[in-house]
Amino acid sequence: MLDINTLVTFGSRTGSTEKLALAAALGAVQARANIRLRWLQENVDVQTIDRVSGWRANRDRMAQEYIAPREVDSLWADVLVIGLPARDNVPFPELKTYLDGLKVLQAAGKLRGKVGTAFTAESIGTGQSDAALVSLCSILAGLDLILVPPHLTAAGNTVESARLHGRRVTDVARDLKRAGTTN
Amino acid sequence: MILIRRSAERGHADLGWLNSYHTFSFASYHDPAHMGFRALRVINDDRIAPGRGFGAHAHRDMEILTYVLDGGLTHRDSMGESRTFGADTIQMMSAGTGVIHSEFNASEQEAAHFLQIWIEPADTDTEPSYQQISIKPKEKSGRFKLLAAPRGSNHDEAMTIHQNAFVYAAVLGSGENLRQKLAPGRHAWVQVARGNVSMNGEELAEGDGAAVSDAQDLSFTGGPEGSELLFFDLA
Repeated sequence: MLDINTLVTFGSRTGSTEKLALAAALGAVQARANIRLRWLQENVDVQTIDRVSGWRANRDRMAQEYIAPREVDSLWADVLVIGLPARDNVPFPELKTYLDGLKVLQAAGKLRGKVGTAFTAESIGTGQSDAALVSLCSILAGLDLILVPPHLTAAGNTVESARLHGRRVTDVARDLKRAGTTN
Repeated sequence: MILIRRSAERGHADLGWLNSYHTFSFASYHDPAHMGFRALRVINDDRIAPGRGFGAHAHRDMEILTYVLDGGLTHRDSMGESRTFGADTIQMMSAGTGVIHSEFNASEQEAAHFLQIWIEPADTDTEPSYQQISIKPKEKSGRFKLLAAPRGSNHDEAMTIHQNAFVYAAVLGSGENLRQKLAPGRHAWVQVARGNVSMNGEELAEGDGAAVSDAQDLSFTGGPEGSELLFFDLA
């Protein structure tokens, strides 16, 4: 079986999107991918953090459990998954830095043939897209990534939809690699 | 036949926050002569700095036992388990179709010392599961306490492992004797977690391991400082 490396990068404040990212990564593992989970930690002042219940505790925990995405992670990956809370369609600075880094790799031809996909906490499994998802998919398509549509099908369970999505995108990447499409 | 794997011969990785000795090949340590023994694939002797640990990472198709010697660990996984445990608790995770977990030193002050053991399962793609058992010191004092046994072996007190393997722990005082039978055709791995022990006349020190085949009567005597052992009865 061909090795597939799946990178799941996510933004999360209180852990809800983290759960979906974990589920997507678990789906990738079930499809026999090697996985890396990377967190986009927002650099926000303490007062703002403390205004949201659960943000500080989860932020401290996630800061221990995850590191930020590095260039080497994107180079390693056959599949790039980005998961976001759907707060708005304006990238927060850390997401923008990550996407800018991907643009640099794309300009150097280093993303060619890789598979990309995205999900947002308010779209996956709900049957409905949202502005953040549309914006993100548009950015990924512009990075020369082979875009796998987000898993919008209403499964009634967003975590289960995220798992299925991680599994599906990994299977697609393996099929493409097998066919030589990603060379 | 008994083959000794000396502590000093093990692979070693010092990452600052993690000081790990590998009885068998692991991560960047690769020795084709030491890829495991029977279904036993990994014994890592790990010391983790306060507050540090392994971030979220995945496992698949592996039985993973964690045996804490000093301090405690905090474990979280994709099955929803979130536990903190110490030397009185043995943890086993059956990764099966896939598990993502993290584990950290539960203390911000003290280092954690533990053995992490991987055993290849007999079957792949099983449902992931988490088990732990608590044992009192007296339960492994002067005798082998069964920690894990295969399903259907009528050992309800032990954790269920997806392999024809029995895992025991024992603590021996200085000069204390303990005998263990190995059924014909079975193999054993003995790992010295702490102290010194004499096994059938072979002197074993902390970190040493021994592969046993074609022997049926094993005799252990605790060294001057006593000993803590893990015993793997393997097909």
